[in-house]
Amino acid sequence: MTISRRTVLAAGLAAPFASLPLLSRPASAQRAAGILRYGLSAFPPNLQPWVSTGASAGTVKMLIHRSLVSYGPKGELRGELATSWSLDGDGAWVFKLRPGCVFHNGDPVTAEDVKWSIEQIAGEKSTAYMRSQFQSVERIEIPDPGTIRLVTKTPQATLPSWFGNYNTFILSRKSTPTEFIGAGPFRLVGQERGSSVEIAAFDKFYKPGIPKLRGIKFVVYADENLRFAALQSGDVDMIEYVPWQSMAAVEADPRLKLDSQEGPFMDVLFNGSKPPFNDPRVRRAVAHAVRREDIVKVAFFGRGKPLEGLPIAEGTPWWDKDLAHGWNYDPARAKALLTEAGFGNGFQTTLLATAQFGMHKDTAEIVQQHLAAVGIQCELQLPDWSTRVARGSKGQYDMAIHGVSSDNNDPDGLTVVLDTTLSPSHGRSFRVDAPRTIAALAKGRAEFDQAKRVEIYKEMQRAALEEVPLVGLAWRSQGYGMDKGVMGFTNLPGALSNSSGNMLEETYFG
Amino acid sequence: MSVTWLARKLTVVAGLAWLVATIVFLALHMVPGDPAELLLSTGGVSPDPASVAELREKLGLERPLFVQYAAFISGLLRGDLGTSLIDDYPVISEIALRLPRTLELIAAGSVIAILVGVPAGVFAALDRGGAFDRAASAVTALLLAVPVFVLGTLLVLLFAQTLRIMPAGGFVPFAQDPVQHLKLLILPAIAIAKGLAAVLFRMTRAAMLDALANDYVRTARAKGLSPTRVIVVHVLRNALNPVVTVLGLQMGTLLGGTVLVEYVFNWPGMSTPLLRAVEGRDYPMVVGIVLTISVLFLLLNLVVELVHALLDPRVAHS
Repeated sequence: MTISRRTVLAAGLAAPFASLPLLSRPASAQRAAGILRYGLSAFPPNLQPWVSTGASAGTVKMLIHRSLVSYGPKGELRGELATSWSLDGDGAWVFKLRPGCVFHNGDPVTAEDVKWSIEQIAGEKSTAYMRSQFQSVERIEIPDPGTIRLVTKTPQATLPSWFGNYNTFILSRKSTPTEFIGAGPFRLVGQERGSSVEIAAFDKFYKPGIPKLRGIKFVVYADENLRFAALQSGDVDMIEYVPWQSMAAVEADPRLKLDSQEGPFMDVLFNGSKPPFNDPRVRRAVAHAVRREDIVKVAFFGRGKPLEGLPIAEGTPWWDKDLAHGWNYDPARAKALLTEAGFGNGFQTTLLATAQFGMHKDTAEIVQQHLAAVGIQCELQLPDWSTRVARGSKGQYDMAIHGVSSDNNDPDGLTVVLDTTLSPSHGRSFRVDAPRTIAALAKGRAEFDQAKRVEIYKEMQRAALEEVPLVGLAWRSQGYGMDKGVMGFTNLPGALSNSSGNMLEETYFG
Repeated sequence: MSVTWLARKLTVVAGLAWLVATIVFLALHMVPGDPAELLLSTGGVSPDPASVAELREKLGLERPLFVQYAAFISGLLRGDLGTSLIDDYPVISEIALRLPRTLELIAAGSVIAILVGVPAGVFAALDRGGAFDRAASAVTALLLAVPVFVLGTLLVLLFAQTLRIMPAGGFVPFAQDPVQHLKLLILPAIAIAKGLAAVLFRMTRAAMLDALANDYVRTARAKGLSPTRVIVVHVLRNALNPVVTVLGLQMGTLLGGTVLVEYVFNWPGMSTPLLRAVEGRDYPMVVGIVLTISVLFLLLNLVVELVHALLDPRVAHS
């Protein structure tokens, strides 16, 4: 058959019209084939299993790889490649491997693979996100082929949760720096650079009936409004990071549903290396000066909750009503604290945030106004995100606004934001003195008795309310929007919301 | 037009390209932000400094700036634009993948702009002062005033979210699904066409009015030629000259203008890697893309000049 130029032109001109009837039901064909179309917020910079490349990349990685444990729908740790884990008499963590797990190349998952993976993460040349944690593992023993024993340099109560992090996967020893062999419920089958990633169900996955989908096509929509538009127009079945301003529209649309959780939070960070923020009273004054409801209303369209203490989720054993409101809005108290610190007439300072993310900028503007009301005049500095990161980690600021999520729902997961003795970072205060808070964190990490840990972390909260290594501002909602026909997905609670991608293995079309 | 003239022009293009590359390279390295730190801190909290140092060394960021610059220029002379710091992908491959998509968008937008702008301009000139002329002029004024991202967002809102007859945005390769590819192309192409159509409309209308006032038009009419023949053969042919020149010059500006449109419609042309590279301080990628756009712009101008020189030999000798 020959195709003339005229035919091609005619087809091209007619195509938009000829296809109109198809457009009104775009989802049906894919859905019938069991392919979920998922609106991702960023194209994964790479899919290296141990390097943190953001939560969107994490969603893809969690589905093609597997670790010893993962988080269940209620946020509880559950077995994956390991069936059980326990402490032995010597304080070492012992994991029992699940029989019958295979990698995508058909090889069984062995204790040797687990050992090799941990060694890669903790390695000398490693750039892994969990590198420093796993470097505290003194040695890895394999008492029998189905058992792994991790002996740590110091007691580590939360070690099993390290394997729940989406940057800790067990890979086959046959993996190469460019080809990673995982054991997840899906296999990577293709990607269109910058636009989409496709995964297909792995038929030898160890959980019967999982995954429930035949495959997932991740389509990248970096712009949040377009991502929502793609969901509303039926281009995709599900999206992550529903923009706050669109959450009400998702709820109001009879075809859609929203699953949101309060997980990440906004806070104020300080440069404690110079006056005035080297004085805890000044930092506490800031904590009492801000009316958090305004931030929730303006920056998050009411989709969040004021945070007047440390970011410890309500309903967990670590939460305490009084401690949770230890930094309540009290401008008179803020002024009194400033007077006590010798700043009765207020002072001039700077507040670093970024204009690149609206929520950072909006939060900074509200904080600026409330601080002005107690006499602290802030000049806003709103560079792009890259500059914000560089200045934060170099301590080139007085105060800064930040938005972050804890590592997990255990208070030990707050170490990354509270322990100011760790290396300088844009995500925690710079050289702020908080010895009692940090000591309590270390004590909690080394304690295995749950009742004692609860008390230790309450002590930690009391210390932090006085030492103020950061000021909590607001919990913010993290939402997944989806077609009503998408079933089985659960947005994990609290800080684990970013790990909810794992639940796509249980997702199906109803 | 001599070979010397062309050689001189090409030398100027090469010199300007080198200048652009150098300025972008230096400016990028002067602004704060460390690619290694950014790459490893996507979780919100910075990573282990040892990991960052490890990555910096691997990426060659520890070398003095002039060594990095020398390596960059020598690579450039060999036609090697380097590899992305973010994902170790050759910059030249990224450009080879993305540039055709951007050019496709520009071409589609230009076709729409020509098909709408030129005939509308002709009719408006013929209908001078009439209802169509006034309405079209008003619409043109509006189109020129509305920013491209506003129009883009409105198109998505109307056709994708409300009427649900068009996809909101994205990309499917033509070979994979031609119908879907064209559907995804229409809205961004309309957004691209907006400004150009308005300019072409105004230019055509003005040129037509100019041409219509000429004596030869009166003569043609007096000879008894049909009105269509007078317009098509005598007026339009003369009026289109300035329109073609404007079109050539506008194509260059469209190269820059597509960035917003590509972003609004999630069209994976040159804008996505450029934005991502700037945000991530991916030096080789930013320089490579900016250099490509600049060289294309320079070459386009050279072509316009070349055409002028061919039409009017005085240009080549001036």
